[in-house]
Amino acid sequence: MVHRNRQPSRRRGSLPASAVWDNVELMRRLCAKLVIALALVLAAGAPARAATVPPTRLVAVELLSETGAVRPGETFWIALRQQITPGWHTYWGVNPGDAGVPTRIEWALPAGFTAGEISWPYPSRIPAGIAMSYGYEAEVVLPIPVTVSQDVTPGTTIALRGQASWLVCEKICIPEEAPVALSLPVAADTPRPDPVGAPLIGAARRRLPVPSPWPASFSATRETVTLTVATRDLAPERVAEVWFYPAKWGAIEHAAPQRVSLTPKGITLEVKRGQLAEATAAPIDGVLIVTERLDGGVARQAFALRAEPRSSVSALALAHAMALALAGGLVLNLMPCVLPVLSVKTLTLVNHAGGRAVLRRHGLAYAFGVLASFAVVAGALLTLRAGGEQIGWGFQLQSPVVVTLLADVLFTVALSLSGVFVVSGRFAGAGQSLAGRAGYAGSFFTGALATVAATPCTAPFMGAAVGYAVTQPWPTALLVFEALALGLALPFLLLTLIPAWRRFLPRPGRWMERLQQALAFPLYASVAWLLWVVSQQAGSSGVAAAMAGLVLIGLAAWLYQVSREARPSWRRIATAAVAMLALGAVVLGPVTSGGSSAQPTTRADGWEAFSTARLAELRAAGRPVFVNVTAAWCLTCLVNERVALRSPAVAEALARKSVATLKADWTKRDPAITRVLGSFGRNGVPLYLLYPGRAAGEPEVLPQILSEGAVIDALGKL
Amino acid sequence: MSDLSRRAFLAGTSLVVVAKSSLAIPSVAWSAPKTGVAAPVFTATDTGGKAVSLGDQHGKIVVLEWTNHDCPYVRKHYDTGNMQALQKEATGHGVVWLTIISSAPGTQGYVNPREADELTTTRKAAPTAVLLDPTGVVGKMYGATNTPHMYVIDKAGTLMYAGAIDDRPTTRRGDVQGAHNYVREALQAVAAGQPVKMPVTRAYGCTVKYA
Repeated sequence: MVHRNRQPSRRRGSLPASAVWDNVELMRRLCAKLVIALALVLAAGAPARAATVPPTRLVAVELLSETGAVRPGETFWIALRQQITPGWHTYWGVNPGDAGVPTRIEWALPAGFTAGEISWPYPSRIPAGIAMSYGYEAEVVLPIPVTVSQDVTPGTTIALRGQASWLVCEKICIPEEAPVALSLPVAADTPRPDPVGAPLIGAARRRLPVPSPWPASFSATRETVTLTVATRDLAPERVAEVWFYPAKWGAIEHAAPQRVSLTPKGITLEVKRGQLAEATAAPIDGVLIVTERLDGGVARQAFALRAEPRSSVSALALAHAMALALAGGLVLNLMPCVLPVLSVKTLTLVNHAGGRAVLRRHGLAYAFGVLASFAVVAGALLTLRAGGEQIGWGFQLQSPVVVTLLADVLFTVALSLSGVFVVSGRFAGAGQSLAGRAGYAGSFFTGALATVAATPCTAPFMGAAVGYAVTQPWPTALLVFEALALGLALPFLLLTLIPAWRRFLPRPGRWMERLQQALAFPLYASVAWLLWVVSQQAGSSGVAAAMAGLVLIGLAAWLYQVSREARPSWRRIATAAVAMLALGAVVLGPVTSGGSSAQPTTRADGWEAFSTARLAELRAAGRPVFVNVTAAWCLTCLVNERVALRSPAVAEALARKSVATLKADWTKRDPAITRVLGSFGRNGVPLYLLYPGRAAGEPEVLPQILSEGAVIDALGKL
Repeated sequence: MSDLSRRAFLAGTSLVVVAKSSLAIPSVAWSAPKTGVAAPVFTATDTGGKAVSLGDQHGKIVVLEWTNHDCPYVRKHYDTGNMQALQKEATGHGVVWLTIISSAPGTQGYVNPREADELTTTRKAAPTAVLLDPTGVVGKMYGATNTPHMYVIDKAGTLMYAGAIDDRPTTRRGDVQGAHNYVREALQAVAAGQPVKMPVTRAYGCTVKYA
């Protein structure tokens, strides 16, 4: 048994009487509405109390419950029902349109009770000239989840009270409000559904948008936004109507016509672009309502979808992204983990090889190695993302296993450079076997190695290009990744293709051997750094396993070299042992992923751990916030932190402006952080954001290469 | 009663016109101008019957304010003196302030020239001129959807700001205090020759009562 208090609404008390009502004109018009309002009230079988309703009543409200009683600790549905005078409407809470304010309830609940947000059933569109409203006409039931206190006693009655307020509009708008209440008995066992509330709330919940099962994307020109939804299983001939309701103002013009074309592959919807230029830089959220003709009627369904940007002026944006990627690839050549590998290869090849044709083939084999391995990494990234994984560039380094294996590989190369072992015809090999098949394979694998070694180093220019790439259809994305690969391959490739350039290289001599040995040290440094990354990801046990692996590799390298001069039988045994040791080193990798270090909330370096909730909390409190999105395996990030973020001058500037500092650590996989990166068009770290103190202000995105001055300037503008 | 039925009739016809025009000329209806490019040039009649053209304002910063004196959102800014203070501040610096009424006859906010002047006097408003746009031509040219809906045009005739007056989309008078006034910020930036920080914001208020 539910006691429903049907309350006549009245005008919002906070408005002075003069606000709307001293206008006699308006008063007269509303008197005409009263006749209709009374008719509606009577038709709805409202209680006799309607007689006392003031002449202003346009919306009748009541609270409904889905169940006839409540049980301690359970969550159940209630709803606010609005019965609206014909011709008038109330608003959709997600986006009311060009004008309007959504309905809200301020609760005064018994202790221990909590009420969730209103779940908004899909709206209808109410055009008014060049403006468009999204709202409800005639009647709407707004479901709200309520959690009952643990401490209520069966047999008693509880009362939920609140003050509902809403804006109701026809051509003009009237703010109204009313107290609402609902009394329910507390039961010990499963309550029966409420005969009035259950069907109404059930119907309303069927009108809530469901997550779209189809991928969606959009492209934008200066004038239009084109939304594409891959509704594979929708029969075009059955679709009667399609409309997209954006969740936010600004990306598309609410009132503009939506030109829909249907193909078996999906829905394409073209609409005039909205006024907020930056709105098309981020994904567009919204609700797509599809009306289908079925036998004997129509079915309407609402899908909540997120359309990812698919930058449209494709050719131009793509060319730009590819140019950035190419530049980023070139810069990668200078990174400390890539440079040694390439320098040695360059010098040996260029100085020792015989014919031009042989050289050219080596250059091409190397370039092919880079392009192919980039294709593999990019392909894996795109496939995983298509499968819904929240990952980005550098994702492979979020696994301690991969980091350990990378350390193993670099260590092996470093040992070879140090002269611990010599693989003829491979990395440092010279002369006779160079033209052989093994030589070309060696060049190919040098390319692959360069790619693997380059992944932790997000070079400048790369961030924007890769961020663009992952939001594109896969052929476009692959083009951008291959441009990056080409940039990495280009310096070596050009040296082999254009013989004249080789004149600038020094003559061969004994110094080459020395240089080769010296270049091992940047690699040892890279290995040390990767071990530190493992320590962040998998703790001390992870580091122990990784170091044991390195020892095995060292042993294997020594054994390999000493056995070269031994008798064939010994050599075979040694080769088997080397293989066993290498295998042992590799198997030790996965062991490391077992341990995991907990993330402390306040980090040792004074930066607080990032969470979207914490960011919102700080911003609500009016604090400016600096967000540092970083990862232990990102070299650029570490350099920036050392050079700019930890400098005393920056610390002092941060303190003076009382800026809260949040560190979003992407060392391990974190979908929340991947989403933050995505919302700024990025797909890799670093990303630096400076939110102003004003709650409404947009954050400033700082450059990927930070300087102390740049950070202090940005802080000065707060 | 005869008055009431005439008004009901007017409301009816205006709805029909809305429906027809939105079907016939959709391209005109959604041509909200972009900021950073030339503001659309218009000519409209002021309350004294004089033609006022945007083209004549070269060399002056211009503010366009769409209004409807009965709209609760507009009343928030006039009853608190907020709009008048901004008008005086702007015109004091040589800014041309044009208040535009696009309400169609028979709709909320529609006034004849005498009533418009009375409103200016009683509310102690200080616009340079009040322009009457009962056909809604100017309003639709600017994509004005709300009252108040504000635009700032620089001395070269470039549209620099379009959107809300401030960041508090409510009818509560108390919200005027402490609100972030986008128009004042835009005027200061334009006067200093600097880019406007937020050139476009979501306008809030009542819908413009177009014919």
